[in-house]
Amino acid sequence: MLTPNERERYDRQTMMREIGEKGQEKLKRSRVAIAGGGGLGSPIALYLAAAGVGTLRMIDHDRVSLSNLNRQVLHWEGDIGRKKVNSAGTKLKKFNSAVQIEAIAKTITEDNASTLLEGCDAIVDAMDNLPSRYILNRCAIEKKIPFFHGAVNGFEGRAMTILPGKSACLRCMYRGSIPQEKFPVIGVTPAVIGCIQATEVIKYLLGIGQLLINRLLLYDGLELTFNEFTVLRNPECDHCGSLSTPLLPGAGQKE
Amino acid sequence: MAINVHIHAAHRQFTDGLEVVQVEGHTVGECLNHLIRQYPGMEKALFAKKDKLLNIVEVYLNHTSAHPNELLKPVRDGDEIYLIIMLAGG
Repeated sequence: MLTPNERERYDRQTMMREIGEKGQEKLKRSRVAIAGGGGLGSPIALYLAAAGVGTLRMIDHDRVSLSNLNRQVLHWEGDIGRKKVNSAGTKLKKFNSAVQIEAIAKTITEDNASTLLEGCDAIVDAMDNLPSRYILNRCAIEKKIPFFHGAVNGFEGRAMTILPGKSACLRCMYRGSIPQEKFPVIGVTPAVIGCIQATEVIKYLLGIGQLLINRLLLYDGLELTFNEFTVLRNPECDHCGSLSTPLLPGAGQKE
Repeated sequence: MAINVHIHAAHRQFTDGLEVVQVEGHTVGECLNHLIRQYPGMEKALFAKKDKLLNIVEVYLNHTSAHPNELLKPVRDGDEIYLIIMLAGG
């Protein structure tokens, strides 16, 4: 049940046919893990809190530094040196006091991922490196929790939604390891991609719209274009290839 | 037999700024070899060694991922190849 305060707060979205009060209650009952509290994690957390997602589990081992502030908009000058999950949690609670924040200041590893992501309805990729993304991808597939991928570089970004056992996963596109490098970025790029990821999470939680499954969305901020590519499940994928769920039509076909 | 190869922005320094290059070939690999004959700078941008693309390079054929075995995928007149760079930042 929504409280009178919540009815007023979410009035502009519950008036949407796709959401209504029932949908708002679904959002309130949901727990979403946001892996990374930086450039992508900031807009994702802010807009999921704005939408009224009941519980946000923020996971990030890092502390705020000055060079984060061009893009990580949940962290401000006074937060430099604080743990990112605490800095983010403070802002999110001030923004929407009803949202429960589970702040976990840990590095995500193969060993702890399953525990850290336990009990979540969705896992959002807001990481800054590929090895961590593959840990999340594998864990999401094992636990059959939807995984919302996003990544950025400069003015470019990409997003894809993964429904374990039903759609292509991040690992289906794996071609081998890539050296980790400091990446260039301007804040508006993760803002765009993070909002797309948050949109996907909201749609999934509500069961509405068409998700970015088997669809890799590429964003080019310089050209201001969006491009979409089909990605099919790889039957030999070492993360999802062994799942017994049938592949979607067209997946794994020989050309 | 003309196939269009769409060049990623980061690689256009090797193609005189061209966004699209016309190539010929019966497979993606043959098309990329023809691209490199026209613009030799693309070889290091795409390949780790002969017949082995850099891990960071993704190939899409007519807007569909060509992975795995991208280079062996057959192409037809009018096909579109997109060369994309994987992103890892957040």
